[in-house]
Amino acid sequence: MRIAELLAAVALLSASAARAGTIEVDATTFLNVAQQTRGPGPTPDLVTVAPAFEILSITARDLRNPLADDLTIALSTWGSYELQDRRWDNGTHHDLTGDVITGYVQGRLLDRHLTLRLGRAQVQTGVARMIHVDGGQAIGLLPYGFRVSAYAGVPVSQRFATRSGLRSWNPLGGDLAYGGRLGWSLALPGAPGRGLDLGASANVVSDGGDPVKQEVGADLRLRLAAPVTLSGFGAYSVYDERISEGTVRADWNATRRLLVEADYRFVAPDLFLARNSILSVFSAEERHAFGGGATWQVGHGLRAGGSYHLQLAPGATEDAARDVGHEAEARLEWERGPMRVGADGFFLDAFDNGYVGGRVYARRQLGRAFAALDAILHVFREDVNGESYSLSGTASAGYQLARGLSAVLSGRAGTTPFLERTFEVMAKVVYAQTYRSTEVR
Amino acid sequence: MDTRIGLVPLALALAGAACGYRPAKVDSYATKQPAYTFPHSVHVDADVACLECHAGIQKATRLDPAVRHVRIPQNPSKRKPCSDCHDANPTSKLPARAREFRVRFSHADHLNRVSSCTACHRQLPEAGDAAPRTPPMEACTSCHVHQAAFAQARCMPCHVDLKGYRPESAFRHEGNWIASHGALARPSAESCAQCHDQTYCASCHASATAPTRLENLFPERVDRGFIHRGDYVSRHMIDSGANPASCKRCHGSGFCDACHALQGVSRTASGAVQRPASHGPGWSGPIGTPQRHRDAARRDISSCAGCHDQGADATCVGCHRVGGFAGTKAPHPRKFLSTHDRDDIRDNAMCRACHG
Repeated sequence: MRIAELLAAVALLSASAARAGTIEVDATTFLNVAQQTRGPGPTPDLVTVAPAFEILSITARDLRNPLADDLTIALSTWGSYELQDRRWDNGTHHDLTGDVITGYVQGRLLDRHLTLRLGRAQVQTGVARMIHVDGGQAIGLLPYGFRVSAYAGVPVSQRFATRSGLRSWNPLGGDLAYGGRLGWSLALPGAPGRGLDLGASANVVSDGGDPVKQEVGADLRLRLAAPVTLSGFGAYSVYDERISEGTVRADWNATRRLLVEADYRFVAPDLFLARNSILSVFSAEERHAFGGGATWQVGHGLRAGGSYHLQLAPGATEDAARDVGHEAEARLEWERGPMRVGADGFFLDAFDNGYVGGRVYARRQLGRAFAALDAILHVFREDVNGESYSLSGTASAGYQLARGLSAVLSGRAGTTPFLERTFEVMAKVVYAQTYRSTEVR
Repeated sequence: MDTRIGLVPLALALAGAACGYRPAKVDSYATKQPAYTFPHSVHVDADVACLECHAGIQKATRLDPAVRHVRIPQNPSKRKPCSDCHDANPTSKLPARAREFRVRFSHADHLNRVSSCTACHRQLPEAGDAAPRTPPMEACTSCHVHQAAFAQARCMPCHVDLKGYRPESAFRHEGNWIASHGALARPSAESCAQCHDQTYCASCHASATAPTRLENLFPERVDRGFIHRGDYVSRHMIDSGANPASCKRCHGSGFCDACHALQGVSRTASGAVQRPASHGPGWSGPIGTPQRHRDAARRDISSCAGCHDQGADATCVGCHRVGGFAGTKAPHPRKFLSTHDRDDIRDNAMCRACHG
């Protein structure tokens, strides 16, 4: 029946799309052949997985209709078939499976003051944490810069399977979710974007009547002067009477070419577990991170950047001093015409383990063809599965067969702590096109 | 017959009927246009009036792709002001261009209110340029007070849509954008939605329904800041230990367990289970012996959840339930005990797994 529903949805979308102002189509046929381990012990079984995917995304916007402005229908879905062993993230006990990633109808009413969205979508604002629900959302613009939004639905579960909060892959699993946000915007004269956005929001998720998440939050975006943006977010778990997350961030465009960022983050990771998880009662940990970074457009296509964060994590025991960790990244990229070359560096020093890593990559466009190389190395502070490093490299080549139609072939090889030698092949044919009615009304 | 099956022919019929309608013209972003050949800057520097070549633009009430408003004067060498520089007539011809307009704009309404075309057209295309130099939005907002519309993300009356634009000032996608975009989206998601449909956001954020890792699907996109690039299996436990909440934003415990069960490190595995190296001597045992699992759970319970989040069937319950092997001492941290009471036991079935 699911296939029937899917066909109906695609056909209905096609019907609507024929009258749309803009239609975006993205269809990918993808084959991935790889090795995966199975079973416990130092010598696990090695299996070959070869899932073949058909991934389809269609968005039709500005559908002409008598009811709503900017009527949009979006559907992104996929199906897969296992040609060899079942991959670990198949999500079912069947070789043939699939899912709907996003599927909704959205329209604007009352001179675009009311937006209604119905279907499978994510809630992006406030403390909703991108919750993925089958349901509906309404966003209303009110006088004096106020905006109110509300949503209700059922948290999405993989492959339409069980919606139990514990077994769902959705971090906000459960069988009922609702919430909303009240926001206020103050626009300031001058450059676009100057002003203040303030919001208060709530998110409640339950599973069979038991609490999964009960949070309220506040958010802020402030741009007083054109080059500086301040943003902040705080969330409070009503069920646990504790702050679950807090962030403060400042972005400063010191010059047109130089961006400086600084931020502070606080999280209570145990509060990210479902409140009906048995593991939610054993910990009340808190973590802090302070740091910043900068990105500099050096010129001549060269860009450099880096960041550093000091991390404060729980100590070895409940009464021990906090553990001090470090995280740093560095980036260098050069782009000129059809050529792009870059190098990244990573450093992580945490309580249990850490690593130093590096990555180099390059991509060259050759007319309708391209080639790309990507190699990444991590050297671990403590051995992982008895090995000190992981190295893998990927080579890709592609060709534009026709306008919007291209083919890509990639191969990956490496040596990792879990596989002395690993090989992987990815092949895909992509059709991506945007059609637009050129009528301007 | 299931009524849902009936939807299929109905929908196909609707699709067929609707497809009979043909839009006036359907074009693609990918349409290639010839490069510009006219050197604007030389003519601007020579104070040649724009209307010498763009006659009729002052009466245009809309941007019409069928009307270009470009007409190079005949015999420039014999006509002022062209003859000031041109001794001979240029031989190059202007290539035909079919430009797609994505804003609603009336030159007729604006040209009699601004002192110069360059008030808006601050940059002009030069010979060899493939793309036009569209006036920046500051050109509009220097006169029009659009801040309120901007703040409420009501862009559509002027913009056809914002697909393909890159923000130049507010919401500029630069620096560590992967880390920073969430902070801007929480208060301003409607601004994001002006350019990005949810299908775009979901390609990263809908981890429960995604077909496969993005790194597998787009190995050629070396420019993208994918989080799980390369051999992520070997370092996922390190990243998770350093920032557990980061994983839990996208992945529920069931996702972790789906793999751990297959690898035989989770208790839900039907076959043999291998205790991880961390669960060595001193991990757990009779009361009075070392209990390293207690400190590990206090520090990073999310890692425990990757294998042990089975509700009332979780391995923790066997020992820690009231009256159980380790049930003489409450396993809850101090902060937990100060904010939970017997009402929570009544309201949450999970509590009753131990307190039933």
